[in-house]
Amino acid sequence: MSDAYVSLKNLTLAYGKTVVVPDLNLDVRKGELIALLGPSGCGKTTAMRSIAGLMAPKSGTISIDGVDITRTPANKRGIGLVFQSYALFPHLSVFENVAFGLRLKKLPKAKIASMVEQGLQTVGLAHLSDRKPEDMSGGQQQRLSLARSLVMEPKVLLLDEPLSNLDARLRLEMRNELQRLQRDTGITMIFVTHDQAEALALADRIVLMKDGIVEQLGTPDELYNAPNSKFAADFFGFENIFEIEGSEIVGRTGRLTVLIDAKEGYLAWRPSAITIGSGPHQGTISSMAFAGELREYIIEAPLGQIKVTTPSSTPPFDIGSPIAFDLAIDKARHLSKNGEET
Amino acid sequence: MYSKWTTRLIIGLTLTFLIGPFFIIILAGLSDGEFMTFPPDGISLRWYAKVFTVESFRDSFKLSMFLAIFGTIAALILGVPAAYAISRYKIPYGETIKTIVAAPIIVPGIIVGLALLRYLVVPLNFTVTLALFMAHTALILPYAVRVVSSSMNNLRSDMEEAAVLLGCSRLGAFTRVVLPNIQSGVLAAFILGFVTSFNQVPVSLFLSGPGVRTLPIDMLSYMEITYDPSVAALSALLALLSVVIVFMAEKFLGFSRYV
Ligand SMILES: Nc1ncnc2c1ncn2[C@@H]1O[C@H](COP(=O)(O)OP(=O)(O)OP(=O)(O)O)[C@@H](O)[C@H]1O
Ligand SMILES: [Mg+2]
Repeated sequence: MSDAYVSLKNLTLAYGKTVVVPDLNLDVRKGELIALLGPSGCGKTTAMRSIAGLMAPKSGTISIDGVDITRTPANKRGIGLVFQSYALFPHLSVFENVAFGLRLKKLPKAKIASMVEQGLQTVGLAHLSDRKPEDMSGGQQQRLSLARSLVMEPKVLLLDEPLSNLDARLRLEMRNELQRLQRDTGITMIFVTHDQAEALALADRIVLMKDGIVEQLGTPDELYNAPNSKFAADFFGFENIFEIEGSEIVGRTGRLTVLIDAKEGYLAWRPSAITIGSGPHQGTISSMAFAGELREYIIEAPLGQIKVTTPSSTPPFDIGSPIAFDLAIDKARHLSKNGEET
Repeated sequence: MYSKWTTRLIIGLTLTFLIGPFFIIILAGLSDGEFMTFPPDGISLRWYAKVFTVESFRDSFKLSMFLAIFGTIAALILGVPAAYAISRYKIPYGETIKTIVAAPIIVPGIIVGLALLRYLVVPLNFTVTLALFMAHTALILPYAVRVVSSSMNNLRSDMEEAAVLLGCSRLGAFTRVVLPNIQSGVLAAFILGFVTSFNQVPVSLFLSGPGVRTLPIDMLSYMEITYDPSVAALSALLALLSVVIVFMAEKFLGFSRYV
């Protein structure tokens, strides 16, 4: 991609002899908000640390705006990082935490004061500038950490699971705040998360990682509606995935003949894509959970367990009762073995 | 379980055993007689006053002060970076290094003193003062490393990384972020080192020369010649000084957290 702003090429990252990220290639456009999504331990933090310069790559290059910064020390890169733990300075006031980097730049006092003021205003903490970080709530600490990085006007802002320490309501609030900030400042942001809903809601594009390898890269729409591997499909809510063998699909306890062209790969259904109450297949409802807008059923069928949801506005089915259901082929997503969609 | 009274008795006896000698010393110093006796022979402050007129006490007090202050500072200059390195980096044999650093606590002081005399002062012509300074620095070092380590352990390393990303050098991150946050640990180590050095006898015993003696050693040799209550008075004053220092440390720093 020619319009790449941040560019990772063949990046190999390792702790000692343990290679964590074998060969990472990624291009991020200027002003883009990228989500690095993946299960715990897949190397997201490691990738962030190497971009920030806190960890030297074994091989490969990192460049920003066409300039190779692979060997540039961390304090000269102009990259901001919001730590998952916030990493605030406990001995300094809110004001001084934000002023820390500006003072190092030896800016005039008045300029620092106005920039800090502005930064605190942006995250809504202007009224707390004399507090110590320990006297603030988790959400406030998170915003302080954000302000501290923002006032430095970084070329790229990295955020390592910035919302994971917050409660559900605050997380939603901060999600919107981040999005607004990004729109207002136009800063290129890469944020790490293992929450797919967060990635879908925030990102311009999502990088789905598994064991240090990019499984799929695309817009939220593409990843949600057109995952192209079993892993991606599973991650984005295709909870019923069956392997194809010949003209049958294989479940845990049985097989089912289906009419498809493909001879191998997987068929995957979202719980909402399976209709119950009518259809050619039979099963028994083994459990039901109420989840607000939806009811979640587990059906025991000859094929194995199947997860289905129905709108909770429709009347419920009884647990233990036999039920008909339909695994419609046209509602399934076909996933090939090697990850390419057919 | 013990009854209430048995418990009180045990506590009482323990305290008497620990603090009793202190009171005996104070009272013995208050004696009006010519010899150190207990109970005191009449009451007067003249021996407390005399302490300040003995010239050798003044000289050795200065030397002890010098050793306690600069020995501790030297130990901290060595010990703080050592503690930092041990707690931050996975140094090969880090635990072993910690044990070796603690050796002066374990090895009897009298052996350390003899070794320094035999291998530094005599063959290398080190002055006694220099040998004393080195010995005291080495003695305080383990305390410095231990106390500073424990306050360093609560400090997350990502704070330093944050400082670096905001433009600090590694050294800058240490002075701007690490040091201010281990300040009270360093102060605690200073006080502990000071008191340890000031009260040190066995090592200093071997390292004394003409006119160069630490205060405790000087008191010992004074007593060999003159058995008047002034040594008791001086001891009481020193004990009081230690109590005041430790009390203030506890009050202002929560000293007991670190030791
Ligand atoms: N300091 C280290 N030394 C050795 N291995 C490490 C170190 N830090 C991380 N790892 C390993 O590297 C892999 C990737 O770790 P990383 O922290 O990048 O994962 P992550 O994707 O950020 O996970 P999480 O979502 O749990 O934060 C893991 O298998 C982890 O065990
Ligand atoms: Mg992580």
